[in-house]
Amino acid sequence: MSHPVLRIVGRRLLVAVPVLALTSMGMFVLGAASPYDPAQQYAGAAAFTATEENLAQLRANWGVDDPLPVQYWRWITNLVQGDLGWSTSRHEPVTSVLAARTGWTLLLVGAALTLVLVASLILGTLAAYRRGGLLDRGLRAAAYAVEAMPVFWLALAAITVFALVLGWFPAGGLTDIAADGTHPGDVAHHLVLPVTVLAISQAPWFLLFVRDAVADSLRDDYVLAARARGLPGRVVLFGHAMRTALLPFLTLVGTHLPELVGGAVLVETVFSLPGLGAVTVQAALGSDFPLLAATTLITTAVVLAANLAADLAYTAADPRVRLDG
Amino acid sequence: MTPTLAVDGLSVRFRLRDATVHAVTDLSLTLHRGELLAVVGESGCGKSVLAHAVLGLLPANATVTGTATLHPDGAPPVQLIGAGERQLRTLRGRYIGLVPQSPATSLTPVRTGRALLTETLRVHGRLPANADQVAEEAGLDPHDLDRYPFELSGGMAQRLATALALAPDPGVLLADEPTAGLDRPLVDHTLDLLRRRCDAGTAVLLITHDLTAARRVADTVAVMYASRIAEHRPADDLFAAPSHPYTAALLDALPDRAFRPIPGHPPMLTALPPGCPFAPRCTQADDACTALPTTTHGTACHHPLTPAGAA
Amino acid sequence: MAELTARRPLVRLRPGTRGAVLAASVLAAAILACLLVPLVWPLDESAVALNQINQPPSWAHPAGTDDLGRDVAHRTLYGLRVSLLVGAVAALVAALIGGAVGAIAGTVGGWTDRILMRIVDTVAALPHLLLGIFIVAMLRPSLGAVILSIGLTHWLSTARIVRAELLSLRTRPFIDAAVSGGASRWRVYTRHLLPHVLPRMALATTLMVPHAVWHETALSFLGLGLPPHLASLGNMINDGQRSLLTGAWWASLTPGAAIVVVTLAVAALAAHWRDRLDPRVRAELQL
Repeated sequence: MSHPVLRIVGRRLLVAVPVLALTSMGMFVLGAASPYDPAQQYAGAAAFTATEENLAQLRANWGVDDPLPVQYWRWITNLVQGDLGWSTSRHEPVTSVLAARTGWTLLLVGAALTLVLVASLILGTLAAYRRGGLLDRGLRAAAYAVEAMPVFWLALAAITVFALVLGWFPAGGLTDIAADGTHPGDVAHHLVLPVTVLAISQAPWFLLFVRDAVADSLRDDYVLAARARGLPGRVVLFGHAMRTALLPFLTLVGTHLPELVGGAVLVETVFSLPGLGAVTVQAALGSDFPLLAATTLITTAVVLAANLAADLAYTAADPRVRLDG
Repeated sequence: MTPTLAVDGLSVRFRLRDATVHAVTDLSLTLHRGELLAVVGESGCGKSVLAHAVLGLLPANATVTGTATLHPDGAPPVQLIGAGERQLRTLRGRYIGLVPQSPATSLTPVRTGRALLTETLRVHGRLPANADQVAEEAGLDPHDLDRYPFELSGGMAQRLATALALAPDPGVLLADEPTAGLDRPLVDHTLDLLRRRCDAGTAVLLITHDLTAARRVADTVAVMYASRIAEHRPADDLFAAPSHPYTAALLDALPDRAFRPIPGHPPMLTALPPGCPFAPRCTQADDACTALPTTTHGTACHHPLTPAGAA
Repeated sequence: MAELTARRPLVRLRPGTRGAVLAASVLAAAILACLLVPLVWPLDESAVALNQINQPPSWAHPAGTDDLGRDVAHRTLYGLRVSLLVGAVAALVAALIGGAVGAIAGTVGGWTDRILMRIVDTVAALPHLLLGIFIVAMLRPSLGAVILSIGLTHWLSTARIVRAELLSLRTRPFIDAAVSGGASRWRVYTRHLLPHVLPRMALATTLMVPHAVWHETALSFLGLGLPPHLASLGNMINDGQRSLLTGAWWASLTPGAAIVVVTLAVAALAAHWRDRLDPRVRAELQL
């Protein structure tokens, strides 16, 4: 019998590879179907004065008139060798664009995810403990309301209140205009609003899940039996109710990551943060296929990897799953 | 002798959206040290609710009236009904324990038996190292303590649940259907275990629908019907000469007696009749039975089978 | 002691109906307003009032004016028209795509089913805003591109529903009985399947409309959505961003508030509908 960890990793990879392949193929097909001419995109304003010969030369250099599968193969082989192509809108290698910006996006998403997890665990459990109470009803109403708010609207509202009216936080950017580098304190100050907005916009789903899972578990027979044994309330809550109820939470967090990424794109745009999301939007506005394709593919790969990690964590934690992997 | 547990006029009602469930009505009983009282009755007559009411484990929509007084060894008596959660927590497990119904679902799925047992021992000031010993006393192989609940058979789960209840060595033990779903040897083993505890001084309340089990180990028997106690007498007397028609009918339904089922079925706990609840099915019923009978000599009946005062 | 018996209330209002009624009224009012506004209060695109730029909310302009002096509340109603229409059409497109995929997967089965389900998993794993951005970027931002973008990212739920229903019904004995009785499989499916599947699909599609509106608004906000002359809510929020930084918050926040209200109303209605549709949904008793 093979090791369960290997089995999970193997199974996830089996899913991940076709997903990435299909995605990249789909994107490629779309890119090819695009009415945009990459040569003109690259030349930019100079395209108007460039001769047809020059543009044809550019096309030949890139091999854009080659058959589609050939182009795809070339792109893929370049990709795995680390050459992600050339950004036609930024006029620099895609790799350098990504390298400069991925860190900030990871910081934003990581901080927001941590905030959401901690807040929803605490508040959701409190609400479940006093089921039907004021906190429970208030939180659920707030969750449904926030779920209906687009994250960029929430961001603009936050900017209005906290940056413009109260003046507590800056309205955008990563650092002060006058700053000469990235100082942690300055960056942190600038990130408070974006991280909080992103966290709040994702919170409803997490909060409601925790609340429902813990509330159901608190009514289960084993919790009643634990109480009947005279165990203190905290022990029953953490060691029995939450421990059983929240294990599936681990894997489900993974399935929610795509939403989080979408939110990050919008938050970065509103707050003018130099992250992957913002650059993706700019790439889209400039029809920059290489950059766009690279960010989409890499984001997908990261989401899949995060799902794998969550799966492994879940298997390690829940004994009921271990046997059948 | 002061009873260890004295229940007086206990009534439990559940508020549902459209109706009110009368699970327990005006129930009184006493339990003494070294006594094994079996509370028997058909499914749905309110027996389990009694145990949960005494322990304060009923859900929020339950209304409990009456008193249940616990007289712990060497401590002042405590009024259980209406006691705060904090006070109840000091009493549960340590002074009054519960062997829950359906052990399979009463065990936390993600923790081993050993973890559960050592946790209970530690909380009540016992040595966690005693886990193996406690398990053995309940008939569980200590090796099985390292398994998770889903890896245990029904019998093993029952023994683990019993071990968990016995670990703090409470003075009063409430056993809620501890033999349901078990095969005969295991039923007998569990009953004998309870009997041994009883003989060592514990007061045991055995809730069961199994009359044969009650006959095997009980000192006293209380027969419940439709939320009330129909008959409450010493076991030998009750089995030899039942006083309440319902008890007689129950005994007649046993395979080793007449094996004759009782016609009809019990009333819904949401629509109890004003008089004696058993009247519609009773062969002795007449107009007097439209009024609630009073309890005389342990029997709540207008027309007891055994003449009043007889043994 | 008085015996308590089961009480029957005089008026049997179903639990939660009040919320649904409120939601339905709000939604009806919104839709009505959107439909009527071109007749009652037509918008003149060129009616720019440069002497009334960025006025805060007042009696004359309940939601203030934007940076070209135009009434924000008025434009919001028009924007809501556009967004709702685009959202509804896009949701329908997504439902059709999903229904087709699900139908093929469910009826053909075998390898086709497996491949299609792989594709479903793929699309589910992708951040759908990113995918939407990609699609629009490649096809040049336009109404068609936006609708296609939404359609290609939101078809998953209907696909799963239709496939699940088909799979469960395929194995039921009455299908075989009907077929062996002479009915063609196609006829059996349309007569027995459709009544089953359509309500669930309708519910899923309705639930999708707020998502579609959200998606279109996000794309328009980023400048990748509807062209400016279509003036959807997303475009308005984007335009209002400039004024927001100078303190005129009403130009951005009012269109957004319209989305929030409509989304809440649709979600409340759909939740109520789902609870009534599926009897297996456990009622929240006070236990």
